[in-house]
Amino acid sequence: MSASTSSAVTAVKVTNRLSRVFAGRAELWVKIIAGVVILLIWQIVVGAFAPRFVAKPLGIASVFPAVITDPDFLAAVASTLGAVLQGLCIAVVMGVVVGIAMGRVKVFDRLLNIYINGFYAMPMVAVLPLLAIWFGYESNARLATIVFAAFFSIAMNARDGARAVPLEYLEVAKAYRAGRRYVWFDITLYSSLPYLIAGIRLASGRALVGAVIAEFFVSLDGVGMYILSHARSFKHNEAVVGVLALAAFGLLVDWTMNWVTRRYLPWSRRT
Amino acid sequence: MSFLRLINSDAPWVRWTTFAVSLLLGAVIWELAGRNANAVFMAPLIGDAQAPGAARRLLEFIGDSHFHDAVLSSIKLFATGFALALVVGIPLGIILARLMLLRVALESYLLVLYATPMVALIPFILSILGFGFWPKVLVVFLFAVFPILYNTLEGARSVKPELLEVAGSFRAGEWSIWRDILIPYTLPFALTGVRQATGRALVGMIAAEFFLSTSGLGEVIMIASRTPDMASMLATIVLIAVLGVLMMRGAQALEHRYAAWRGVDG
Repeated sequence: MSASTSSAVTAVKVTNRLSRVFAGRAELWVKIIAGVVILLIWQIVVGAFAPRFVAKPLGIASVFPAVITDPDFLAAVASTLGAVLQGLCIAVVMGVVVGIAMGRVKVFDRLLNIYINGFYAMPMVAVLPLLAIWFGYESNARLATIVFAAFFSIAMNARDGARAVPLEYLEVAKAYRAGRRYVWFDITLYSSLPYLIAGIRLASGRALVGAVIAEFFVSLDGVGMYILSHARSFKHNEAVVGVLALAAFGLLVDWTMNWVTRRYLPWSRRT
Repeated sequence: MSFLRLINSDAPWVRWTTFAVSLLLGAVIWELAGRNANAVFMAPLIGDAQAPGAARRLLEFIGDSHFHDAVLSSIKLFATGFALALVVGIPLGIILARLMLLRVALESYLLVLYATPMVALIPFILSILGFGFWPKVLVVFLFAVFPILYNTLEGARSVKPELLEVAGSFRAGEWSIWRDILIPYTLPFALTGVRQATGRALVGMIAAEFFLSTSGLGEVIMIASRTPDMASMLATIVLIAVLGVLMMRGAQALEHRYAAWRGVDG
């Protein structure tokens, strides 16, 4: 065994022993210390090597209160998030109808599957110019992009959910001569809800990306444009706050969906 | 009623006919929409000699050397960014899984980065690094690296401790632990990340070509959208969609191929 591998083994052992020492509640401290170290490195490296306008943690912290209370910023956040939520609602309604129809009726599945899968795999940025021409260089184009970004993942998940209805439920329903209405709304809908939640989660991330890209492309007021215009005028600290707002929204959606699944959908097989 | 039952049956010919009808319907709808709409908004699929449709334009593109250059430049951008994401993401993921302290320290921050929409970073890259090839590579890299890194980390983390303990008690070196345990065990998980990353990297590629210095297929779309030349635009979009589906399928096949390596309870 060469000296370098043995020293690597020692390094692994030492850090693993250290982590055992830190185990338990101390994990939190490790995370906090790591966060502070990352911010320090960022501050020092950017301060030493990068141009002055590049964002630094202290700079971000110093502009943070001003940006958060800036009416322009709040209007931008409201505009983007409002569009994302509106688009998600449209996509959910359409996606659930199409997805459940595909999951339960084979003809629909065979007719639509290739299109749904194809559009899902297609990078949505590529259709942005097309949507901008169709819907005009205004907020409708953003809404269309959001719906386009969100619809296909919701439809696909709703379809998978509708197909994954446990056979026993359907057999019991059949044995009691349950009408089609009950099979659809009392069994299929509920049993596909966890899949739908997973789809919405996926879709909300894509929708947010769609909204930001659309704002870049058609120069529409919103968080994306806020970031773009401040980055262009070399106010990177302010622009980073916009990125933080987007990340916070992503995490909030994730957290909410997790909570909804745990609290209201106990039959979900996810743990 | 019997017709409904027939078209919903599982007979192979019914399936294939439905599939063919689906393609045909799509093509007919596209063609009719293209012929009846204003040429500024929509081009037909096939069209005629005066107003060529997307399919004709795609055939023209095959012999067009400008278009070849555009495709090659896009592929170069994609491949460079993706290769960098693999080279960084996989080893870093395994290292983080191996060094518990480092993992605990960095994991939450990586998750936050994974959840951050990377498009939002494009304006920063533009104003710090400017135009050129490498800033665009950075965009593709950023889009692709986090799914790879995160899935590799999760995979390497789930390596059974018994395997590592046995290797340790036989005084296996760090390199042989990597070669014989960590890398084979982690590969299927890493491939899940690779599949997720192909789609994202493609988005990153187009976004970089749109918003940084325009080039490649993104430039073809941009130029077509200004004219507006709907046939070229739709042809390029279809090409990108086919590319996306093919890469997704390829990555899926690769993932299935090595799925058996995920241990019985892994």
